[in-house]
Amino acid sequence: MNIPRRAVFHLATGATLAGILPVDARAQSRAETLRYVTGANINTLDPCVPGTTRESFGLSMNVYDRLFAFGRKQVNGNWVFDSSVIRGELAQSYEMSADKLTITIHLRPDATWQDGSPVTAEDIKWSLDRAVSAKSLAPPQFSTGSLTSPDQFRIVDAKTLTVSLTKPDRLALANLCVPYAIMINSKLAKQHATADDPWALEWTKTNTAASGAYIVESYKPGESVILRRNEAWKGGANGKLPFFRRIILQTVPEAATRANLIERGDADLSIDLAASDIPTMEKSAKAKVISVPQTNGFTHISMNTQVAPFDNPKVRQAIGAALPYENMFQASLFGRGRRLYDASWTGSPPNIDFPQPMPLKTDPARAKQLLAEAGLPNGFKTSFAFSTGAAATAEPVAALVKEALGKVGIDVDIQKKPDAEFNTMEAEKKLPFFIDAGTAWLPATYYYFYLYFTRDQRWNFASWKNTRIEELAALARFETDPAKYEAECKEMIEIFADQQPLLMVWQPNHDAVMAKSVDGYTYQFYRQADFRDLVRA
Amino acid sequence: MKTFLAILRRVGRRLLFSLPALLGVVVVTFVLMRVLPGDPAVFFAAGPSAGKAEIDELRHQMGLDKPMPVQLVRYLGDVATGNLGRSLTTGQPVVADMRARLPASLELTCTALVIALFLSIPLGVAAALRPGSPIDHGVRMLCTLGVCVPTFVSGLLLIYVFYYLLGWAPDPTARIDIFASTPPDITGFYLIDFALTGDWQGWWAAFTQLLLPAFTMALFVLAPLARMTRASMLAVLGSDFIRTANALGLKPLRIVVAYALRNALLPVLTITGIVFSTMLGANVLVEKVFSWPGVASYALDALLASDYAPVQAFVLLMATIFVLVNVLIDILYGVADPRVSVE
Repeated sequence: MNIPRRAVFHLATGATLAGILPVDARAQSRAETLRYVTGANINTLDPCVPGTTRESFGLSMNVYDRLFAFGRKQVNGNWVFDSSVIRGELAQSYEMSADKLTITIHLRPDATWQDGSPVTAEDIKWSLDRAVSAKSLAPPQFSTGSLTSPDQFRIVDAKTLTVSLTKPDRLALANLCVPYAIMINSKLAKQHATADDPWALEWTKTNTAASGAYIVESYKPGESVILRRNEAWKGGANGKLPFFRRIILQTVPEAATRANLIERGDADLSIDLAASDIPTMEKSAKAKVISVPQTNGFTHISMNTQVAPFDNPKVRQAIGAALPYENMFQASLFGRGRRLYDASWTGSPPNIDFPQPMPLKTDPARAKQLLAEAGLPNGFKTSFAFSTGAAATAEPVAALVKEALGKVGIDVDIQKKPDAEFNTMEAEKKLPFFIDAGTAWLPATYYYFYLYFTRDQRWNFASWKNTRIEELAALARFETDPAKYEAECKEMIEIFADQQPLLMVWQPNHDAVMAKSVDGYTYQFYRQADFRDLVRA
Repeated sequence: MKTFLAILRRVGRRLLFSLPALLGVVVVTFVLMRVLPGDPAVFFAAGPSAGKAEIDELRHQMGLDKPMPVQLVRYLGDVATGNLGRSLTTGQPVVADMRARLPASLELTCTALVIALFLSIPLGVAAALRPGSPIDHGVRMLCTLGVCVPTFVSGLLLIYVFYYLLGWAPDPTARIDIFASTPPDITGFYLIDFALTGDWQGWWAAFTQLLLPAFTMALFVLAPLARMTRASMLAVLGSDFIRTANALGLKPLRIVVAYALRNALLPVLTITGIVFSTMLGANVLVEKVFSWPGVASYALDALLASDYAPVQAFVLLMATIFVLVNVLIDILYGVADPRVSVE
């Protein structure tokens, strides 16, 4: 079944490339083409299927529209996404009922799919139904916005829908902005649905039914994707079309080659160069670097709070006092990022931002004292793990952890594990002590606690069980009174700072390296390039 | 006609005998992949907020919740019907991926082998003719250098000099300039496809793109080929018939090429077969450095992600190619030395 379809696809792309494209392509100047090089793969055009790479999330943001999108703001001269501003993308406007239980969504009257047919409320209803019911990675995400059943989405007229909620979930609207919330041309997708696959998940892996700013012109998994601007796109921030007419996304596995390409001016943008290349790039005549701390992410050193000796908070606090944070930060990232330690507050945090710097300070004497209080004056033996994929930044940390803990009597065995093995052991909670990183798409304080510090699930890195945190996270989620929400968040942060299930150490910089002429780069919550914002000056 | 039939019979028998070996390779790879730590379901259900339920669902979809013998029987059935499974890394059927990527690897490896042979045989002969001379030492040094510099170092070095500093080579990414159009997919070998369609500009573009990675690979296999040529030539040059030929006053060139080299080629052919198979599987570093969309880098990516199907398919493919290459070498023995094909 697959082979004929693939053959047809080949013929079709072959015909386009040989016939129409070259003339068209030559007419478009290089200036209006952006060449983006990456070490990662784009493995699907549908971001919802299991195994989707981050690169594929990024692509889908440019190809598919969502109902809503986050705004952006300037921080220290750089553009950063702003989740406090939610604007319509495929929606023109929305109204929230006074009880915050009903969202009425008005679609753009002139919006069309990439095949030219109009966007209707039926398409949107189908897409939302798919998001909460298809066997994909989308339903668990949408459940964090209390969107769980197709019954919640009702069509009012051809261009209006309502979303009803049972509780006033503060992240319902924000969830409609995430990569999974793609809006699909249902008429087109339904033609490829089967009895086994009613939501056409198989077809959308290699085909698109979108309305977004860019149209996929050719897709070679693991090699390249070529995008063409959708001239009929209406979803822009002020109705404007993106600057670049053509985008070439190319997989170039070798970081040194990507750096060479940019320095030679043959490629325009890369966001995953080796950390050691960044300082050279900053001095380069042809390239520039935009560095933004990953404000919705964090690197953490986790301890399994369910097994001895880390089930004792005093042991965790001892580790927290023994680590040489500044040395680790310099050795791992050369200081390129935001510190999440060394805060001067005690007791209650100054605000409810999260992650925010915690009052973690290096104090070996206190560490020894805490160990003695925990009944382990002579220390203990443990292992410290990190994944091969993160070795460049994690290996120096591991060495410093071993050295510093050795001084307070804790004997650490460093374990470097292949990514798949590390992930499996982490998910099965078999690592006692390790370094890893996390990111939340929706940077709301309660969401971090809900995602990373509650329930027996994979992302609860430290397997932390704290009934008060669970209560507070549940309360904060549906809290409509801002003052109460703030109090609840502050209390969660206080408990976190005291119990130290894991040590949030820093937020690494997101380093985007681009040609000097490229402007408007925005750091997005999904940590990929948004081509729609980019211009060539 | 008779010799042709004999060759054919031999080939048929060889292929038949290799079937159990291939089966063994399939089973061993299958078991090995599952013994390795790392659960593909966990790795691929890595989306934010993907929980236990999603992991179990994925495991079920991949058939990993069944006992291993059941999985093996299923897999063997699939392989027998030409279905090698689906890659989670690229999201494509493995057969389609291999079909798209194998020509890229073969084109690169063949070109590299041709370059290596063109360089190593004359070098080996030259070294054998004057053993102990500066030429011999020079060749030895070149070989040592080629074999001890890892391909990713020589590759990056070549890129740095010829692309970054001099700007002579096209940018070292993929099989053809990303802004140029690819040839229609006839054989999958760009050089052949461009030649078939008469697009000589495209052919030149693909050829220049191929040179740097091919040279990198050729440099690495120069040593075994040149050393083997030298050793074998030395043995032949010392034999009676060469002395006779010299005594009869034949032209030196004729003695070296027609009598000595032809007789010295057998061991070189054997080593060429081995070198070719090794190159095809082991050129992963060259493929990575030059962003070459070949099978080796594909298999490595899959292995790192514990993606079973592509790795198993890759090993099976390599085993098959190894068998085929050995059969081909056997046939070539007959061409180089007619005595061999007589049973």
